[in-house]
Amino acid sequence: MQPSDPAATEAGPTFRASYFLRGVAGAFSVPGVVLMATFVGFGGLLHDVGFPIGAGLLSTLLIWALPAQVILVGGIASGAALPALAVAVCLSGVRLMPMVVALMPLMRGRRPNLWLELIAAHFVAVTMWVEGFRLLPKVAVEGRPSYAIGLGAGLASVSMIATGAGFYLTSLLPGPLAVALLLLTPISFTILLVRNARERVDWLAIGFGAALSPLVANTPGGLDLFWSGVGGGTLAFFIARIWKADRA
Amino acid sequence: MTPFSNEMTAILVVIVVGFLPNEIWRLLGVLLGRGLDENSAWMQWVRAVATALLAAVVARLLITPSGALVALPFLLRAGAVGAGVAGFLLVRRSVLAGVLTAEAVLIAGAWWLGVAN
Repeated sequence: MQPSDPAATEAGPTFRASYFLRGVAGAFSVPGVVLMATFVGFGGLLHDVGFPIGAGLLSTLLIWALPAQVILVGGIASGAALPALAVAVCLSGVRLMPMVVALMPLMRGRRPNLWLELIAAHFVAVTMWVEGFRLLPKVAVEGRPSYAIGLGAGLASVSMIATGAGFYLTSLLPGPLAVALLLLTPISFTILLVRNARERVDWLAIGFGAALSPLVANTPGGLDLFWSGVGGGTLAFFIARIWKADRA
Repeated sequence: MTPFSNEMTAILVVIVVGFLPNEIWRLLGVLLGRGLDENSAWMQWVRAVATALLAAVVARLLITPSGALVALPFLLRAGAVGAGVAGFLLVRRSVLAGVLTAEAVLIAGAWWLGVAN
């Protein structure tokens, strides 16, 4: 990259529409299509449990993390207590923090701007994280904040369209296809888990979380997700530590 | 079932129970930035809990599903997800290949059993 004239860079606006639009265009890719498919599945789930579509669309825009959205909507449908759901959503969102920390240097641009950073960070989720690492290094540094926000806005927009489409399609589709729509959420989450599992502790956490889920179902207070998450994760954490200590 | 009689209540729940507890991590990510040790024991525990939570969500969706999925036997639901993981691992770790494999198994199974028509 040519070192650009510092005076010209300083004079230019921090937010650049041309880079924003290029970011939006970047959302139309294979990962974007997979993301769309999973949100079609989420729309089907919304319809299935009778969750209002307006609030469902808002959850895609504001929460912008499918696991948290499924915990919220599925939990409400099964009658879970709202404070317990807030805790479960909060725990599921922890993984976003290291993603933001790791991706931020690529999204920051030349002059740090807290507002642009916060907006760009809002769009960080698994797809944005993968695509950001793939696409942002090719973008000129001064255009990266705008590009990142464009990419995030593009991904969020197609996901909202997909959420709406899934909601209205479920009732129109013939049986087997409606069923296929509802399988999209569990299958994409499972693949996500397998893809991100690198160490023994990850596999243990997957195993314990899944195994504890039916055991703690119908726990009073609607805390079953809380118990399988915290209980399974803590078990996995300590067993992996003990194994490591034995090896050492 | 109708968890919410009006849309405004649902919107409020999405913001207070969904958006705020989730967004706090993105905010912290921006503010704490590089001062964070990703490999500290605390972060490892937090990651393990988040992973177990996601696995529990999947298990619950498969074991006690809602709506049309109920019509299919548990073994078919679980088998489709297993086939999807196999497809993902065998075809260059492609998410798309995994999803398509799972869906193909599920639809073929549903058609074979003659349910969900």
